[in-house]
Amino acid sequence: MSLPRITRLPPVRLLSSIYHHHCQQLLLPSITPLTVPRRTVVQNEYRRPGQPKEDKWPWQKMNFGLSKGLEGIKKHFTLMKKEFSDTWVGPEGKPVLEHMLEQNRVVCEFRNPEDLEQWTVSSDREIGGQSEVYLKLGKYNTCFLYGTLCSAPPKDGETRYSGYCTMRSKQQLSSLDRKKHYDWTSFNTLHLRVRGDGRPWMISIGTETYFSHQKDDLYCYFLYTRGGPYWQDVKIPFSKFFLTHRGRIQDDQHPLWLDKVNTVGFTLGDKADGPFQLEIDYIGVCKDYAHTEEFAYELYKRNPEV
Amino acid sequence: MSPMLSSTLLFALGIGTTITFASSHWFLAWMGLEINTLAILPLMAQYHHPRAVEATLKYFLTQATAASTLLFATTTNAWLTGQWDIQHMTHPLPATLFTLALALKVGLAPLHIWLPEVLQGLDLGTGLIMSTWQKLAPFALLIQIYPANSTLLIILGLASTLVGGWGGLNQTQLRKILAYSSVAHLGWMVLVLQFSPALTLLTLLMYLIMTFSTFLAFKLTNATNINALATAWTKAPALTALMPLVLLSLGGLPPLSGFMPKWLILQELSKQDLALTATLAALTALLSLYFYLRLSYAMALTMFPNTPTGTPPWRFQSSQVTFPLAISVTATLMLLPLTPTITALLTS
Repeated sequence: MSLPRITRLPPVRLLSSIYHHHCQQLLLPSITPLTVPRRTVVQNEYRRPGQPKEDKWPWQKMNFGLSKGLEGIKKHFTLMKKEFSDTWVGPEGKPVLEHMLEQNRVVCEFRNPEDLEQWTVSSDREIGGQSEVYLKLGKYNTCFLYGTLCSAPPKDGETRYSGYCTMRSKQQLSSLDRKKHYDWTSFNTLHLRVRGDGRPWMISIGTETYFSHQKDDLYCYFLYTRGGPYWQDVKIPFSKFFLTHRGRIQDDQHPLWLDKVNTVGFTLGDKADGPFQLEIDYIGVCKDYAHTEEFAYELYKRNPEV
Repeated sequence: MSPMLSSTLLFALGIGTTITFASSHWFLAWMGLEINTLAILPLMAQYHHPRAVEATLKYFLTQATAASTLLFATTTNAWLTGQWDIQHMTHPLPATLFTLALALKVGLAPLHIWLPEVLQGLDLGTGLIMSTWQKLAPFALLIQIYPANSTLLIILGLASTLVGGWGGLNQTQLRKILAYSSVAHLGWMVLVLQFSPALTLLTLLMYLIMTFSTFLAFKLTNATNINALATAWTKAPALTALMPLVLLSLGGLPPLSGFMPKWLILQELSKQDLALTATLAALTALLSLYFYLRLSYAMALTMFPNTPTGTPPWRFQSSQVTFPLAISVTATLMLLPLTPTITALLTS
C-alpha cells in the first residue's frame, strides 16, 4: 500500500524555490502540495487521489428546495411511525417468541432493483487503477457482481500494489438518519448461497466503530468459490472471523460481537488479472447448535511475564 | 490484566465507596465517587474490545457529568448556606441539582438511557460490579440528605418503575434486561426514600443480593441472550431449576425474598396517604414481572424444538467458584420469613 504522501513532500520553502528556478521537477503533476490530505485517526472525509478537488462550499452543494424538504419530512416521519409501531409488536418489529424460536434469518435477498441500491461497489479505479466492477440483477433475480480485475498499479510513483474489487452493503439508517444495526446475537453462522467462478473472495463484516475510533476495523474470512453451474451453500461460523485494520491482520484478536453489525462486504484481490463474476442468491444467518467454538484463534499474551 | 493491577483497581473501588460512606464533608464524598468511577474504567476496558471501549466511554461521560453537577450543587450549597456538611443541605436549588446528579449516577429514569448500553458492552463479571457495588456510594449520599424534594423523588421513582418495566419488555439481551430491572428497582428505592430511608436501604440490599445471584448464574451458564438460556439446562440443571425462582424473586412475588421490600414500601406509601402512588408502582411492577417470567419460561419451563438431544455439551467442572452463588441464591429465596426481624432491626 502507498505510504502517506505528506511524509514524502519536501518542505514548502524548497518547493517554492523549485518552482521559481524551474529546476528538475521533483513533483509529479498529480500531487497538489499543501492540499494533500493527511491520514488521521478521526473519522474525517478522505479525498481519494485522482478525484477532483472540492471547490464548492458545503452549502453550495446542498439542495434547499421545498419539495426535497417535504419529501424528507415525510420519509423520516414514516420511518419514525414504523419504529414506534414496531416496538408494540416486539424487538425489531418481530414478536419475542419469533426471536426465541428462529434459527435462520435471511438478511439480504436480491429480488428487486431497490435491493441493489443497498449495496455499493468499488474498485481500485478510485486510486488510479484499471479494474472494473459492476453490479446488476442477475437472470433469476440474484445479485450479479462482475467485472475485470487488473493488478497493474497506478502510475503515480508511489502505489506498489493494486488490483481489487469490492462490494459492500450500505449503512442502514433509521428515522432522522440514525444508524441502524443488525442484531445477530441469536445466531452463530453466516450462511451464503453463491455461485462463483473459482476465485477466492474475502468476506468482511463491519461493526459499530464510532466509539472505538477505529473506523477501518473489519472482521474478515475467506470465501472459496467453486465455480461451475451449481450453487454453493457456504456456512461460515462467526467465530472464524478475524480482526483486520485496513486490510492488515491484527495481533490483538478478539471475537466478533454480533449485536451491532453494520455492513457486510465481499472483496476480490487475488492478483489474477481477468474477468470475474460472483452471483449471490441470498445472505443469511443461522444458528448451528453443534458449533460451540467461541473464537477460532489463539488469544495469546503478547508480552508474557517471564 | 495482571493480578496486581486488578487487585489495585478493586481495592480502589472499595476505598472509593468507603470514603463516601465515611465522609461528612461534600468534597470528600465527591472524591470517593470519583475514585470509584476512575477505578472501574480500566476494569471495564481491560479486554480492549470495541464494545467494551464504547461502554467505558459512555460510562465515563455520564459519570463525569454527574460528578461535575454534584460538585456544582455542593459548591452552590456551600455558597448559599455557608457550610459543607452533607446532612445540612437545606437550600432547595442545590438539593434538586444534587438529587438529579445522583439520579444520573445510578441510572434513574429519565436519566437512565446510558445504563443498558453500558451494561451490554461489558462482560458479566464487570457488569455485576457496575450493577451492585457502584450503586452503594450514591445511595449512601441520597439517604443522608434531608428530603427537600419530595415531588421530585416521587416523579423519579414512578418514572423509573414505569420505564424499567416497559423498556425491558422489548429486549432479548440479558444484560439489557438486567439494566432495565436495575432501573425499576432503583425506582422503588427512591419512592420511599423520603419516608423511610431504612426501607430504601433494605430494598437496596435485597436488590444487591438478587442481582448478584442472577449475574453469577448467567456467568456460570455463559448466557448473554434469551436463546442461550434455553440450553442452560444442559450445563447446570440444578441451577436451571432454581433460576426461575430467583427471577420471580426479582419480580417481587411472594413467598420469595423479593416480595419483602415491595410489600413494606407499599405499606409505607399507604400510611403516608399515597395510595395512588402505591397503586401505580404496583401496576408497573407487573411489567417487570412479565419479562422475568419470560426468562423463566425460556430457561426452565419450555423445551426448545431443536434441542440437540444427541449432543449436549460436556459438563465439565466449572472454573467459577459456586459458593457465593449458593449463598446468594439461598438468601434470594428464603429471607421472607425473617421480615419481622429485619423490620425490627431497621426501626430500632
